[in-house]
Amino acid sequence: MTAFAGLAEGFVHALSPANLGWGALGVTLGTAVGVLPGIGPALTVALLLPATYGLDPTGAFIMFAGIYYGGMYGGSTTSILLNTPGESSTIVTALEGHQMARRGRAGAALSTAAIGSFVAGTLGTLALTVAAPTMAQLAIAFGPAEYLALIALAFVATATLLGDRPAAGALSLMTGVVLGLVGIDRLSGEARLTFGVPYLLDGLDPTIVAIGLFAVGETLSLAADPIGATSVLPLERSRWMTRDDWARSWKPWLRGTIIGFPLGALPAGGAELPTLLSYAVEKRLSRHPAEFGHGAIEGVAGPEAANNASAAGTLVPLLTLGLPASATAAVLLAAFQQFGLQAGPLLFQHEPQFVWTLLASLYVGNVLLLVLNLPLVRLWVQLLKVPAPWLYGGILVVASVGAWSVHRAAGDVIAMTAIGLLGFALRRGGAPLAPVMIGVMLGPAADMHLRRALAVGDGGWASLVDRPLAGALWAVCALLIVAPPLWRRGRAGTPVRPPAS
Amino acid sequence: MPRRARTAAGWTCAAAIALGAATAAAQSLTIVAPAAPGGGWDQTARALQHAFTTADPASPIQVENVPGAAGTIGLARFVSAERGRPDALLVTGLVMVSGIVATRSVVSLGDVTPIARLTGEDEVIVVPASSPHRTLQDLITAFRREPRRVSWGGGSAGGTDDLLARLLAEAVGVAPADVNYVAFSGGGEALAALLGGQVTAGVSGLGEFAQSLAAGQLRALAVASPERVAGLDAPTLREAGVALDLANWRAVVAPPGLSDAEAARLADRVRRVVQSATWRETLARTGWTDLHLDGPPFRQFLLAEQARVEAVLRRLDANRAPATSSWTPTSATLPRLAIAVTLALLAWHAWQRRRGDDSRDEPSVPQAGHVRVAAIVGAALFHAVAQPILGFVPTATTVFVAGAFALGSVRPRRDIAVGLAVTATVAMVFAYGLGVPLPMPGAAWRR
Repeated sequence: MTAFAGLAEGFVHALSPANLGWGALGVTLGTAVGVLPGIGPALTVALLLPATYGLDPTGAFIMFAGIYYGGMYGGSTTSILLNTPGESSTIVTALEGHQMARRGRAGAALSTAAIGSFVAGTLGTLALTVAAPTMAQLAIAFGPAEYLALIALAFVATATLLGDRPAAGALSLMTGVVLGLVGIDRLSGEARLTFGVPYLLDGLDPTIVAIGLFAVGETLSLAADPIGATSVLPLERSRWMTRDDWARSWKPWLRGTIIGFPLGALPAGGAELPTLLSYAVEKRLSRHPAEFGHGAIEGVAGPEAANNASAAGTLVPLLTLGLPASATAAVLLAAFQQFGLQAGPLLFQHEPQFVWTLLASLYVGNVLLLVLNLPLVRLWVQLLKVPAPWLYGGILVVASVGAWSVHRAAGDVIAMTAIGLLGFALRRGGAPLAPVMIGVMLGPAADMHLRRALAVGDGGWASLVDRPLAGALWAVCALLIVAPPLWRRGRAGTPVRPPAS
Repeated sequence: MPRRARTAAGWTCAAAIALGAATAAAQSLTIVAPAAPGGGWDQTARALQHAFTTADPASPIQVENVPGAAGTIGLARFVSAERGRPDALLVTGLVMVSGIVATRSVVSLGDVTPIARLTGEDEVIVVPASSPHRTLQDLITAFRREPRRVSWGGGSAGGTDDLLARLLAEAVGVAPADVNYVAFSGGGEALAALLGGQVTAGVSGLGEFAQSLAAGQLRALAVASPERVAGLDAPTLREAGVALDLANWRAVVAPPGLSDAEAARLADRVRRVVQSATWRETLARTGWTDLHLDGPPFRQFLLAEQARVEAVLRRLDANRAPATSSWTPTSATLPRLAIAVTLALLAWHAWQRRRGDDSRDEPSVPQAGHVRVAAIVGAALFHAVAQPILGFVPTATTVFVAGAFALGSVRPRRDIAVGLAVTATVAMVFAYGLGVPLPMPGAAWRR
């Protein structure tokens, strides 16, 4: 059976009225739960899993697809409106998304996120349909040395995020690395930087760092400076995307998809790397680089697309190898087992009908998400009409619940508050906050992959570069460092416009 | 007709989730999974929830995830917060036994009430299909000749897979510290490294490798169980000449402070569920072995496993030394480097400011600003500490009111009213919509 004939049959199963009903219910429940603080897609799916026990597999998986996409989009909503990312994949969205909201452009931010998610989700599912087995082979070739080179590439690409004072940016970055390293080292099992505090053994969850820095830190900044407090959130009249917004969004959607899907397919997946890379790429390519940090729509469109495309990519190792690359995928794997299905290399042979129906239901879930959420944008932005004192009081409550729900521990709320103070201090000192998150997300990963690569190569440093793929990635890395200055010198005749402050 | 009935059941369940299940206190149960959703403990907890619910649809069964540090964070919280509750279970297993030693946890499995061992997962040693090692003997020969050249991929450091690799080394006369064990986050990621030929051999639960073994991508060299596994063409370690067996078992325990009668009642409830058809289906589906054991024999088993694991880990700790051929970074390298660089940058930054040539810094905070910042920080810390005693609603309202005050509100009474409404709504949604209750007043003192 060819891919498209199989898919057509899958659609026949997925598009029955009852199944569409399950999909709509899933999207609604998923969005509703995903909006709640601290409840990411993995927990959303796990919590709603029992609701599908009574269904037949097709109905259940269409509902899952709805819950999954709904939960992911719900997290973006809180990131944009309240600056409290519900999980690590929407941290980058908060950077520009909330700035847009503060400038009265919440409607445009939510719309570009929804449409970008739809575009990336659909293209990602398409790529999954035609290229899953090939992608899986590539993903397996990706060892620790390649990961390390990829992370180095990400560091170089995100260097522009350090801001116009590199020393202050570097201070933020290194602060992030230190925060990220706290906890038990996954390779040796040894505790690092925990100072004998049992709570710190598990490390600081990136979500808690982000909530502390963004939600709490910003509220503290506003509270300290009364002039800042009065300039919050006048809602713009047009709540929809303008023609200019469309023109500035469509390329980031596509680039985000191209970055997100293959990176999501890697076995050690996660949405942090693709969303960060997409953000950095958009900033480099944007014609309005000075707008970044003050609500550039590209900075929402790209990462949101990358996030959804990487979610589709995660299904590559899950379906072809039975390998869950994210917490959500692990829950999905458990759900497969619930229905007596073994994900893995034999799934395509043994259960072709199931695979195609699942893929079809992913397309359907995507469409349903867009249909449900675009009208909801109007409703959500009303939230920002709440007077500033109550809005920020509410943000603090949501942040506390969100931090607490991660481990159900008081320590998380204390950590969030302490990191909020740290963010406040950094901001006061003129240091940017985005590099802190880069440090938290990439620093420990770089450490782990470096040491793992050396262990696999038994301590030989040459093993880091002597594989072709790793070597190629390092070469791109070097090119990114060397090329821009040379290029700029080549164009020395044309004056470079200084960035607006 | 069955389809329609199923559909109706699905709707009912969905409605129950959405609107909140009715609470019947008599048969309620909270199952704590000390891990994130998706892992083995979480799957065990949710499979138990499924089996309990099928047996008695009226009783509300909740699963709580408290992830972290090989389950010791969940264990610590379980021991302190659920003390004396006869309707709470914690999922545990071999990984927690070694986690307690590795993390130097102050609470241990001696602090809980043992209920029952449930399942076991067979450990298997595999190589990629293209590997030159045809049998376990081939692998061991290569391992003895050059221990560091053989890399073992498996789950997290100090876990069952790590333990098995080092016990195997000891059994064949290689120093456990010489094992080049490469830890991945879970057997799934190790599988990718195996298929990509990045590690020599893989050690993990059979479930992680079963599909790839069936597809012929991997070759099983031995299973670590006492007897052969049905449907798998591989000898046991003992048959292959290594006197060793190890299974990754999982169990449930109850909070401390239960009477013998209460513990026996819980063990009865678990036994009935373990004998149910639903549980059998789960076992068949997941490939878990039924290792149900309760009462005094389980108590003795738990003590024996603790002693065995502690002894092994102590022997490993005694001769843990890097044995690579050249200098490589250790777990302490990057933390030291990062702190040094951060401090250097901080000093440089302070010096720059001292010189006063940086006009881009924001103006200093006014006196009133300090008060407002302190109000928020104070309220948040009060919320963190007092939430288990006073409950979520009053302390979160404090946070709301402090935030509103700090942002310039001058009408505290209205703030309190709005704060109570907001926090009560959040609490209702979490408790009834999700079945994840936020702390209630007096939760810390509940019997």
